[in-house]
Order: sequence, then C-alpha cells, then structure tokens
Amino acid sequence: MPAKPDALSQNDSNSSELVQGTLEMLILKTLALEPMHGYGVALRIEQISHGVFRVNPGSLLPALSRMERAGSVKSEWHATENNRRAKYYQLTAKGHKSLARETEQWQRQTAAIARILEAQL
Amino acid sequence: MQWMTNILTGLKSLFHKQQVENELDEELESYVQASAAEKVKSGMSPENARHAALVELGSRNVVKHQVWSSRWESTLDSLLLDMKISLRTLAKSPGFTAIALLSIALGIGANTAIFTLIHQVILRDLPVRDPQQLVTFGTSTGGGILGGVDLGVNSMFPWSFAHQLQSNPGPFQGIASYSSFAPTVSVLPPSSASAHDSASSAVLVRAVLVSGNYFSVLGAQPLFGRTINPSDNTTPGSGAVVVLSEHFWRQSLSADPDILGKTITINRTPFTVIGVMPRQFHGIKLQIDPAALWTPIMMQSVILQQPSFLGPDAPYFLEMFARLSPAASTSRAALEQSQLWLNQQIHAGVRATESGTISAARQQEINRLNLPLISAQRGVSSMRGQYGSSLIILMAVVILVLLIACANLANFLLARAATRQREIATRLALGSSRRRIIRQSLMEALSLSMVGGLIGLGIAFAATRALIAFVSQGSTNTTLSSTPDATVLLFTLAASLFTGLLFGLAPAIVSARTGAAGSLSSNARTAQSSQGRASRLWPKMLVTAQIILSLLLLVGAGLFLRSLRNLQQQDYGFNRTHLLLADFDPKIAGYKSTQMAALDQQLIDRLSALPGVRSVALANTLPIQLGTEQSSFKISGYTPAPKEDMSSTIDRVSSRYFQTVGVPILSGRSILPSDTASSFKVVVVSESLAKHFFPKGDAVGHILTIDDDNIKGPWQIVGVAKDTRSGNPRDKTSFPTTYLPLAQIDPWTTAANAFADPAPASAANSTPTPREENQDAFASSILVRTSGDPAQSATELRAAVRSIDPSLPVHHIITIHDQISSLMTHDELIATLTGLFSVLALLLTTIGLFGVMSYNVVRRTNEIGIRFALGARRTTVLWMILRESLLLLAFGIGVGIPLALGAARLVRQQLYGLGAIDPATCVTAIAVVIVMTLFAAWLPAQRATKVDPMIALRCD
Repeated sequence: MPAKPDALSQNDSNSSELVQGTLEMLILKTLALEPMHGYGVALRIEQISHGVFRVNPGSLLPALSRMERAGSVKSEWHATENNRRAKYYQLTAKGHKSLARETEQWQRQTAAIARILEAQL
Repeated sequence: MQWMTNILTGLKSLFHKQQVENELDEELESYVQASAAEKVKSGMSPENARHAALVELGSRNVVKHQVWSSRWESTLDSLLLDMKISLRTLAKSPGFTAIALLSIALGIGANTAIFTLIHQVILRDLPVRDPQQLVTFGTSTGGGILGGVDLGVNSMFPWSFAHQLQSNPGPFQGIASYSSFAPTVSVLPPSSASAHDSASSAVLVRAVLVSGNYFSVLGAQPLFGRTINPSDNTTPGSGAVVVLSEHFWRQSLSADPDILGKTITINRTPFTVIGVMPRQFHGIKLQIDPAALWTPIMMQSVILQQPSFLGPDAPYFLEMFARLSPAASTSRAALEQSQLWLNQQIHAGVRATESGTISAARQQEINRLNLPLISAQRGVSSMRGQYGSSLIILMAVVILVLLIACANLANFLLARAATRQREIATRLALGSSRRRIIRQSLMEALSLSMVGGLIGLGIAFAATRALIAFVSQGSTNTTLSSTPDATVLLFTLAASLFTGLLFGLAPAIVSARTGAAGSLSSNARTAQSSQGRASRLWPKMLVTAQIILSLLLLVGAGLFLRSLRNLQQQDYGFNRTHLLLADFDPKIAGYKSTQMAALDQQLIDRLSALPGVRSVALANTLPIQLGTEQSSFKISGYTPAPKEDMSSTIDRVSSRYFQTVGVPILSGRSILPSDTASSFKVVVVSESLAKHFFPKGDAVGHILTIDDDNIKGPWQIVGVAKDTRSGNPRDKTSFPTTYLPLAQIDPWTTAANAFADPAPASAANSTPTPREENQDAFASSILVRTSGDPAQSATELRAAVRSIDPSLPVHHIITIHDQISSLMTHDELIATLTGLFSVLALLLTTIGLFGVMSYNVVRRTNEIGIRFALGARRTTVLWMILRESLLLLAFGIGVGIPLALGAARLVRQQLYGLGAIDPATCVTAIAVVIVMTLFAAWLPAQRATKVDPMIALRCD
C-alpha cells in the first residue's frame, strides 16, 4: 500500500507531501545504515531531509508492520541508550535487495522526469 | 515460503491478540519516550516534551488500529466478530432461526438430492482412462437379439463383423464389443458347487458377454486379479473365465480374498474367477440393475442358453464401441475420418451379406447407411434416456422452491432490518462504515444458509436414498449411490453460498441505506411509515415473485398429475386387477424343449389348484412389458403393398391365456386346451391386425405364415382378440399382435435354419446334429388370475413351483398393477415430486404473504389509528389492507400464467393425454393461489380493523 497523503504533518510550512509510494523506500534506506527503532527512523528521515519530510507514527508503524510481514525487515526488542526497551528494526537480505531495486527504479524515473522537464521544446 | 510465514505469524497474532496489543502499546510508549527525549535534548522541559510528543502521536488507538488493519488477519478477525454477532442475534430469536433453517435446509436438501441423481445419471464420466476418447457405434440404447436387418440397425452387430473390426481397428485405438443385453444367469458360489441343495443356494444375477479386448479398450483396471484378454476369447465354448463385480464379490462370495482361481458355476457350467472389478465400475452400459459378471463372448451358448451365435449368418446380439485416436478425440477432421472409415466398413459388410447382384436402388440405399459415432464418455445409459429429462425438470422445480424459500427469508430479514433501523443508525452515527454494516448483515444471512445447507445435506442423503429405492424398485444393487461425492458437496456449498447472498443482499442494502438522522429522531415509527412506498416495495416484489413461482409450480404439478392419471386410467385392453405375474426359467434348470409341454401342463395344473386362484396361463412375455418379440408374416391370398409393414408382435401363449389376462375375444374363439401338437395349427390375432388386413371383418378362417422358421406355420386364424397396450403405456397405437398356442410349437427345429454350426474352428467336431432345440418352445412367464389380492398368492405360487421342481428358478413375482407402474416410474416420480414441492412452495408463499401483510399492518398502526380517528369505517380499512394483497395477487397471476404456459410448452414431451395449455389445470392453480392469498391476508386485515385509535396514537 502506498503511503497516504497524511503521511506527513502539514503544520510546518517547510514540509512537503511525501511522494506516493516512497515511504517504504525511505524506511529501507534509513534502516540500511543501522538497525533502529520506530522513532529513530522518523527522526532520521526528518533530519536528513532537513525537515522537508515528517513522518508520523500513524503511517510509520503500519508501514513497518507491513514490511515486517513482507519479510524485508525483522524486529527485535533491545535496550535503548537510555536503558529502556524499544523495538529495533533491521533490514533482511530481502530488504537489501528490494532497496537496491527500488532505488534503481526511482533514479531511473526521476532522471527521466528531469530530462522531460529540462528539455528545450 | 514468505506467504507461509506470513500466514503463520498472522494466525499466531490472531490467537494471541492480547500479546500483540501489549507489544504495540509498548512500542508506542517507547516511541513517545524517544520522541520526548529528543525534544528535551533540544531544550524543552520534560513535561512539555512529553506533552508535545503525545500530541504528535495523536490518538494512540487510531495508530494501533492502523497497524492492526495493515495486516491481513484483521479482516479475518472482523469477519469472525461479525459472525459472532450474527450467531448471537440468530440465537436471540430461536423461532425465526428455526423456521429459516428449516426452509433453507428443505430447499438445499431437495436441490442436492436431485443434483446427486443428475450428477450420477447425466454428468458423471465413466471411471476409466481417458473416457473422452470412447465412442459407441450408434446409440446402443436398445438390446436383444436381432436378425434379418442391415448392420448397425438398432446399433447391433453379429459376432463376425465385430470380430473383423476388432482385429483391424483402422483409425481407432481399438474396437470392442459386448452383448447388447445382460441376461440373467444362475450362479453357484464355489463352496456349494458340489452340495446337494445346490439349487436353493443359486443366485440369479446379470452377466455380460464381452470381447477379449473389452477391458483394454475401455481402459478399466481390475481391483485385483486380471481382466479378460483376447487369449480367453478365441474358440467358441472355451475360455470359461469370469470377472466379477465388486458388489457380487462382496454380497454373494463374502468378499473372499482368495477367490482368484476358484470355480463358480454359471448355468451349470464351471467358470474360473480371474478378477474382480472396482466398486465404481459397471461396464460401459449403465443400467439401473447392473451386471455382476463379465465372461468372454465365446461362452455365449452357456450364458444366453441359446444355440451358438458365433457362426456365419448368426443373429445380431452385440453392441460395439471404440477408443478414438488421441487426434480424433480433439480434432473434428480426424473424427470425421474415423466416421468415414466406419461407414465404409458398414457398407462393405452389408454388401457382403447381399446375395446375387445388388440393384442400383439397393446400392444407393447401402451407401446412405450411416452409423454415427456417439460419445461414450459418460457411458451408455438407459437411465439417462428414461430419467434424464425428468431429472432436469425436477431440478428446475427444486430451484423454484429454493427461490421461494429465499424470497421468504429475504422478507423476514428485511422486516428485521427495519426494526433494527435505530440500532443501525446508532452504529452509523458512531462511525461504523456502511460496508461493515452490509458485511455483517450478509454474514448473518450466510451463517443461516451455511447451517441450513449442512442440515440440507442430511436431508438430501435421506431423500436420495428414497429416490434411488423408488427408481430401482427395491433392488439392493444399483449403479446409483446416495453417498455425496466431492462434486455434490461442492454443489451444496455453492448452493448454500448463493442462497445466502440471494436472500441476504436486499436486506443488507436496505439496512445500509438507513439514514442516520431520520431514524434517530423520536418519532421514528411515523417516519418509517411515511417514508412508505420505497421501503415497502422490496417485500411486495418478493411476495409477488413468490406468487408467480407458486403458480408455475402448481400448473406444472397439475399437468404432471393429470398426465399420470391419464396414463393410469387409460384402457389397457386387459383386466388390470387380480393378476399376478412371475418369470420362470426352465432353460437354466436344464429343461429340454421336449420336456416343456409336460412341464407347462404340470405348472398350470398345480397352480390352478391353489386356493383363491381362478385361472392360470403361461406365455413367453408378460401382458405388458418393454421389449417384445416381433417378426414379419404373410397372409395367404394377400399381396402386400410396396413397403407395407408386415410385422407383428409374436406372443406364444397357453390355453386360457385370454381368460386369465382378461382380454376379450371379439370374434371367433380363444386358444383352447384342445389345440395341441397333434391338432391343426391355430392362431388368434389382435383387433388391429384383423382390421388392417380384413376390413370386412372376415379374418377368422384365413391362413398366415410367419417368417421365422421356428414358428413358421401355416397357422389358421380362429379368433380376434381386443387390442392391448403391451409395451410403453404412452404408445397410443396398438401394434398388430399374433397369439400362437405354446402347445403347438414344435420342440425341434431343422438344423438348416438354426445358427447351428459355430465358428469353423469347431466344425471339425463330430457329425452335425440334424435338428436343434426350438427356443420358441420355452415359456417364461406365469400368469395367475386370483379372486383376492394377487400379492397374497406370491408365496403360494413360489411354493407350488418349488414343489414341482426345486431347481426351477422363479423370479420377479409382481402384480399387474405394479408391473404397469414400473413402466411409468418416471411419470410417477415427476408427478409425485412436483406435487409435493408445489405444496411446499404454497406453504412457504402463504407464510411469506402472511408475514409481509402482518408486518405492514404493524407498521401502519399509526396511520390506521389516524384514519379511525378521522372517522374511517372498519370495512374501509379492511378493504384497504386486503386490496394491497389482491393487487399483488392480480399482478402475480397476470405475470405467472403466461410464464406457466410458456414453461408448460417446454415440458410438452412429458405430458400425456393433454396439451401444454390445459384450462382445467390453469383454473385450478389460479383458484388455489387466490384461496391461499385470501387466507394469508385475511388475518392481518382483520387485525387492522381492531386497531384502537387511542392506543395507536399514544404509542410513539
């Protein structure tokens, strides 16, 4: 399921809508660096995008649950740095593969779109 | 593999919902804490940070719900919840639930029962390899022994032709043959073969003669042992091996596991058992009374108790089938090639039998002969012809009944949906989706239909047993079985689902349309009754549909019942009471034709002496039965016109036959005890024969000869008997019949004409006998006229025959009434069942109409109260309510009668003695429906007149 338009909070004028269907790809990318818990993912996406994308838990957690079912991530309970328990998500081999595939696809599409937009008609 | 782990995890989380819930809570909590910690880092106070984090999260329950619904098991979970709610609501109204379940169970049960039979009689493939490749040569639905016709007439063939094609199958994978009928044989199991009381332990079963490649062409494997193969079938009289049916092996040989190689005695000849076929196998020809044994065609003399049919010029007694090449079973062109090849063989075969030069006209006639290849994928079935169309009509009937039951249930559920409007409006107001409401409403209907279907399966099992018992007339071994197989179960499941959707959909849609605002207002009831016409349209349409369907069924039942009565009450030409019939088989007991005169006389004397017996006669056929012996004849001094039909049914009868059966002699005399072998030969002819050839009424005294050397004559006509119906009760024309005195038939026949010399192989044996036993000297039927109930004399008859010769088998003892019934079982079946179902339909419609009308009155209590308060009279209100049902009735009749007449045209073939448009039936059906409507509407209308305006208006 593609991420819904309400996937980001619109209280910030700086933020913009997440492109349909990209939430899972972003999560995959974030998790590719290291395993992290839900809030960590949200935070990382927000930071790296300089606050353009803000993902709320109402779409992040269902997406993680879907991906876990699809076998692209797996989860484990770990202690956090503040000694609390949190559910850490980690990319599986399948997740790595689908990240590579989706990234490649995405780059092809954006490059094509860019070419169209920059074309001198 | 991923989907499997997915399903497993899903199921696990479904069963440990609480744990999943806790985990989610914990994850959310850690999320909030992490978020708050982050905010604290950027300078917020801890309280503010936590507050902001919670605000960002939004409703915890919403997030949890979103996660839960992103997983597939959530759908299943809510379905289960819906089902739980449905079952609880159903359990709350046990009366409604019971009636609903009963009507669904009856409807689905009836459908399943009829479908079980349709599946077995019409749809099921033969249990053999690639059945779609099997074809028969011609329809193969007849059977018997035939002579003097072209190859393939009645799809019958002589051994010589069958054998020739078997060794050279042309484009076919193989061509095989089998005896066109399954003669009854007497079998002694191995243990009692040597016992003294052998006669009493003999069982009579049916045997089929098969070619050596019968089983291999058919593609049938034995349960154990082996099947008959070509080496068993080379020399006439040798190859005494037998393959048993599973039923026979179990019933008569106690499923002896060491049966292979043992010897059973068939018609006093030992046969070696070589194999047992599986339970589902009944051969290529499926009969209600299936074969128990298969033996090689070479054993024909023993099995048929007839002279050899295996020589040249032998009679036709085989039917043939073939396995198409794989190409021909898929491509039309290849099939046509096979057809062409077969026809060429037929033409060549016919030409070979012609003596002398063939005239041009005859040549053309031969070239036109066409023997169609007919698919035998589902076997050759006499039942299919006899019951096929009846079953399809009955299927239509039970579907109509099921539809009526559905309409009733839809109405009940609609009424309940209306009373639950407030509940639904509340749920909608609280945020439930309409889809969810439709789903729950459907779930309720489906739970009903599924449970109903399950009960229906039980009803179907019992009903199918009863139907099979009726169709097979009490025989314990039939090719039909009442045990539902996978196809039948699938059908029942589909029928239940379809039923549930059918009656659940309308109420579901109506309940989902409920407006939230209107129904929650305090005067919901007034709103309901004023919202009026639209919401009352559904029930009215359903009731009208029920009236239409009931009319259809009533007209159908009327037509079928009247047809049956016409069949039963027509003039059969003989006396249909106090007559007991029985078959006996002197040949199986080893009697020679020369002993028959004495045996016949002994039987007549002994049986006549029984108390309550008025008259006894013997004959070669029953007064009425399917299948007769026919032959052409000549009348001296009469030159037949070209192509004039000069054939007649031949009955060989003892003296007192006409008196016993009750056939009046119109002129001349009947056959008397004084007509013996030594007196001059006499014959009694039927009225139609006499009228046709002697229109002046001077038949008596003329001489006729029969074109069958066994009974050639000349015979002098001494009497004319009234025409009788001797075959299918539906045949209105009487076939000319000649009655020959049994006593005057020569026990010997000259060898020249008989099919004496078997195949050349055995011609080497001793000198040919100059004369043969005349098969026509044997009688096979006993007819006893009694003064009391003929069924009472059955045991005495059996005992009397046994006292003459305990080894003389007597079977099929039946009263004439039952014998006639057995010839119209499908008429009885269809008339009885349609009648029964239309009563059921009428009952359901009455309940439905009553329900809808009562409910309408309740709904309109306010309005009626206001009318009374404004001065309406009771009769006005009464009429107002009645008018509503009468309108529906008028509409129902207006649509129903044309539909019924159209449907009646479709079943014209099944009617007898009346046309498709039968005014009496229509008028009766309309009258019944009118009475039913008035009956169902009167009580609610009466109740409306008793509405007290004070109470009605205070109500809301």
